[in-house]
Amino acid sequence: MIIGELAAEALARVLKGPGLRLRTGPVVTCIASPLDEVAEAIALLYGEHPVDDGFADFHVRISRPAGLRRWLKPQVQFQFDGRPPFYPLPGDQGFPILEWGMNWCVSTTCHQYLIVHAAVVERGGRALILPAPPGSGKSTLCAGLVHRGWRLLSDELTLLDPSSGQVIPLPRPVSLKNASIEVIGRFAPQAVLSPTVHDTLKGSVAHMKPSAESVSRALEGATPRWVVLPRYDAGAPARLEGMSKGRAFMQLVDSAFNYHLHGRNGFEVVANAIEACDCFEFVYGDLEEAAAVFAELEARA
Amino acid sequence: MRWHTVSRQALTLREFDEELVVRNAATGSTHLLQPLAAEVLTLLMETGDGMTAAQLAASLGDEGGGGIAAMEELLQEFKRLGLAEPVD
Repeated sequence: MIIGELAAEALARVLKGPGLRLRTGPVVTCIASPLDEVAEAIALLYGEHPVDDGFADFHVRISRPAGLRRWLKPQVQFQFDGRPPFYPLPGDQGFPILEWGMNWCVSTTCHQYLIVHAAVVERGGRALILPAPPGSGKSTLCAGLVHRGWRLLSDELTLLDPSSGQVIPLPRPVSLKNASIEVIGRFAPQAVLSPTVHDTLKGSVAHMKPSAESVSRALEGATPRWVVLPRYDAGAPARLEGMSKGRAFMQLVDSAFNYHLHGRNGFEVVANAIEACDCFEFVYGDLEEAAAVFAELEARA
Repeated sequence: MRWHTVSRQALTLREFDEELVVRNAATGSTHLLQPLAAEVLTLLMETGDGMTAAQLAASLGDEGGGGIAAMEELLQEFKRLGLAEPVD
């Protein structure tokens, strides 16, 4: 069963009760929340995701902390196994804190993978890895590419499987911030976006629903083929320039959450991925132009 | 002064074009070496008794005073990174 097949009342009941077991790629998260806005956002953005009834890797809860603030200035908190790893956030940030919390669960515990802070999309079985610091336009580019024929693997966490070298998909809503919300709204009017939440730690935030295809193919990995370091520069023409593999290697290492935990094997995993990839730096100021560059890159491969 | 690399077992290398990435298990750090530094580290790994800055500079065809001084600076940087150390 997929979440979209659940009636709104049934979804709210499960979230308020035992929790919804949501499968995202290789992990299952049991989500509990009494908050209507969380239920509504899950219904809107996770409609294509399967509901699982087995073992859950993570048990999380989004709720209002107890105390006076509950009435004066409501907040939301994220709990993992009954404990809040973060400070509470303003009351309208229930869905963003769930998304950030789910990222935290994966990046701090799924050490069977080498996890890189990078967006990753796929075409023809080949993965395009986009590591970059926040604010570089990585998620915007990722969102744009998935509306021009690329399959979303993840907008935030690239999971490299040490045994196969494959990128393991973790398709979840794409996090868009500030100006990129409007950019994607114009670029892909068919995109399903959550209501924008303002004044978060990252500015204004909205999430974009992943495509049904990216969710249904969530167990289908991809082979690393390109590493591209993107940078958005308003008005700049698209420019793709070769980057040395050594620099690309260090970029992945520096962007990894758990490289140090994998020891020598982590070095080999990253080195093998880089060996198989063409590596570039990419500056763009227009998404349509950017999509054309990557279509050409893929056609040449 | 003669130099050699730290324990060879501690170093894992991969060459990409002329650059070298090297992981040092003793420190847990990973470094990117530009072509000249990559060549020097490779020479140090191949030598049994170690090499002086002058010998290394000569091996790279740069035995002038400037070459030796630059080599000494590079060896000090290797020492700081835990990649090489004086033999004695």
